[in-house]
Amino acid sequence: MSNEKGLLMQLVDVWKAYRVGDVVTWALKGVNLSIVRGDFIAIMGPSGSGKTTLLNIIGLLDRPTKGKVYVDGVDVSVLPSDELARLRNKKIGFVFQQFNLVARMTVYENIELPLIPAGVSPRLRREMILRALKAVGGEEEWLIKKPTQLSGGQQQRVAIARALVNNPEIILADEPTGNLDRASARVVVDTFVKINTRGQTVVVVTHDPEVANCVNKIYIIRDGVIKDLRTPSKNECLLYKEIK
Amino acid sequence: MLKDIFRYAMKVLTEKRFRAVLTIIGISIGPLALVMMTSTVRGYANYVEGAILALGQNTVVILPSERYRLSSSDLDYIRSLDEVDEAEPFYSTQGYIQTAEGRRNVFIYAVNPSILVKAIGNLELEDGEFPLDVEITYCVIGYSIAYSTTSNTRLFETGDSITVNVVEVLSGGKLNLRRISLRVKGVLREFGGAALVSPDQTIFLPARSGPTILNIKDISGIFIVARDPSLVDVLVRKIRDVYQDKVTVVAFQQIARTVSSVTAALDFIVFSASLSAFAVAVAGTASTMITSVIERTREIGVLKALGFTDKQVVFMILAESIIMSLIGGAIGIVSGVIGAHILSSRGLAIPAGPSGSSGLLIVANPEITADLVLTTVFITVAVGIVGGTLPAYRAAKIPPATALRYE
Repeated sequence: MSNEKGLLMQLVDVWKAYRVGDVVTWALKGVNLSIVRGDFIAIMGPSGSGKTTLLNIIGLLDRPTKGKVYVDGVDVSVLPSDELARLRNKKIGFVFQQFNLVARMTVYENIELPLIPAGVSPRLRREMILRALKAVGGEEEWLIKKPTQLSGGQQQRVAIARALVNNPEIILADEPTGNLDRASARVVVDTFVKINTRGQTVVVVTHDPEVANCVNKIYIIRDGVIKDLRTPSKNECLLYKEIK
Repeated sequence: MLKDIFRYAMKVLTEKRFRAVLTIIGISIGPLALVMMTSTVRGYANYVEGAILALGQNTVVILPSERYRLSSSDLDYIRSLDEVDEAEPFYSTQGYIQTAEGRRNVFIYAVNPSILVKAIGNLELEDGEFPLDVEITYCVIGYSIAYSTTSNTRLFETGDSITVNVVEVLSGGKLNLRRISLRVKGVLREFGGAALVSPDQTIFLPARSGPTILNIKDISGIFIVARDPSLVDVLVRKIRDVYQDKVTVVAFQQIARTVSSVTAALDFIVFSASLSAFAVAVAGTASTMITSVIERTREIGVLKALGFTDKQVVFMILAESIIMSLIGGAIGIVSGVIGAHILSSRGLAIPAGPSGSSGLLIVANPEITADLVLTTVFITVAVGIVGGTLPAYRAAKIPPATALRYE
């Protein structure tokens, strides 16, 4: 696989099976997908269609049963798990529906987490954490708070800051607005739009049309197969309208 | 990285404080038992061994059995042996004296002072001198007899007279108490450690006082001093070969060796017993860590998603169990040291004289060595590592996507 200019990730004929007892369920059935640097992609589809499985494979959290996954032209489906962990740390930032912040830690310590395996010296960490928090519109006073002392929207912004702190190439978000009220969801979408505007690649699994309207590619997945690729007009994105 | 891992582990432990404290208490039992029991046993063993060796490595004592009477011909035979430097008979009994502080039990030995000084090392006079052989009513008294038990004042001075109630064995085995009056000619320095003989609580008379003043017809035993410590075993064998079970041969050197081997066995038993406490601690730690890992499955998934490798996850979980074991070890060792002092201060009753008829309470300090503490720390940390390994491995092997789905 040649490394085409701007091509960050490519999935070629990816199949994923789950086995429960004797029953084998195919969650993905031959998915082909390319992610170019700077893309803002939404993956949409009904529940159980394979969206999260696809996101896990893009995020190197899971291996395909069949098929290849290329990152910068390198087949990563055969890499050992520690190598995949290093690749995730360097290239991928994750945002989850339930935020997945560690409740016992302060906001500072939560955002700091990806910097630990990256081997960033404690001296440089504070600056990087502040920069990430600023990028999501967070406030410095949050740093000493525990996640539970923040609102849902604020917590998700902290989670996005944690995903951004290592300056990864791609941000993957699984239903990032699923647990938020409309106002908070708008702020989160706004954050993703800003991140993407700065050139960072974003892939979002969502049901939320307001999010989908702001992306540049929408993959529709049904029964483990990508059925459709749409390119929405930015005019539909309320945030872009506001920015204009 | 290491600092971050330990900081993270501390956060986890402080969040689940109650569970961590209970596990730490469980871990601390092993080091407590090991330090307390081992140091106490070693302290007493060293005390007894030291006290026996202080009696003289060349010394051998012969005590007749009930069916046999030692005579001057036995003495001549013993003296004729090549290995023997000196041999003297002694007469011993017990009695008590009355002082202003009440009744005090004493041992009474009638023996030639020259062999006494050779046989019992470190036996020195504080003042006065040993009585001559003909001075049968003169005596030297032990430190504990001469001094008050409560203050450092003398109850008896050189030249004082001392009345002793002596136990006499009459024909037919009947016991009788006879009052004798002696004059103090010397006072011994404090001897300290007491095993087999207790000079501090003894009145020494010249050998001739035995059959006369003390009215003891038969020789109680023979003190022998060998020419060299290396000849003691040969000498003991020779005497045993000749006398068979007519006499008991006591060599302080051999007793010390026996005590030493008994101590080694006891040490091993104590160590094995403590290991069972450590085994329970391993199970306790593993159980706590498994629970902790299961509760944090999703969190571990997040860490992996953020780039923590399997090895880093293993270290994180192990760090928790190692921290708990280090704290448990520290608590166990400190309480073990305190416990050992309490246990030792209660004292140990051992037979005081060759006849074993009267008990003595000895108090020895526990022997807490760097070696013991280091071994304990090493085993305790091993508890943490062994107890944490399976949960850590389990945590590391959870696929991140599965961990993130965990409810």
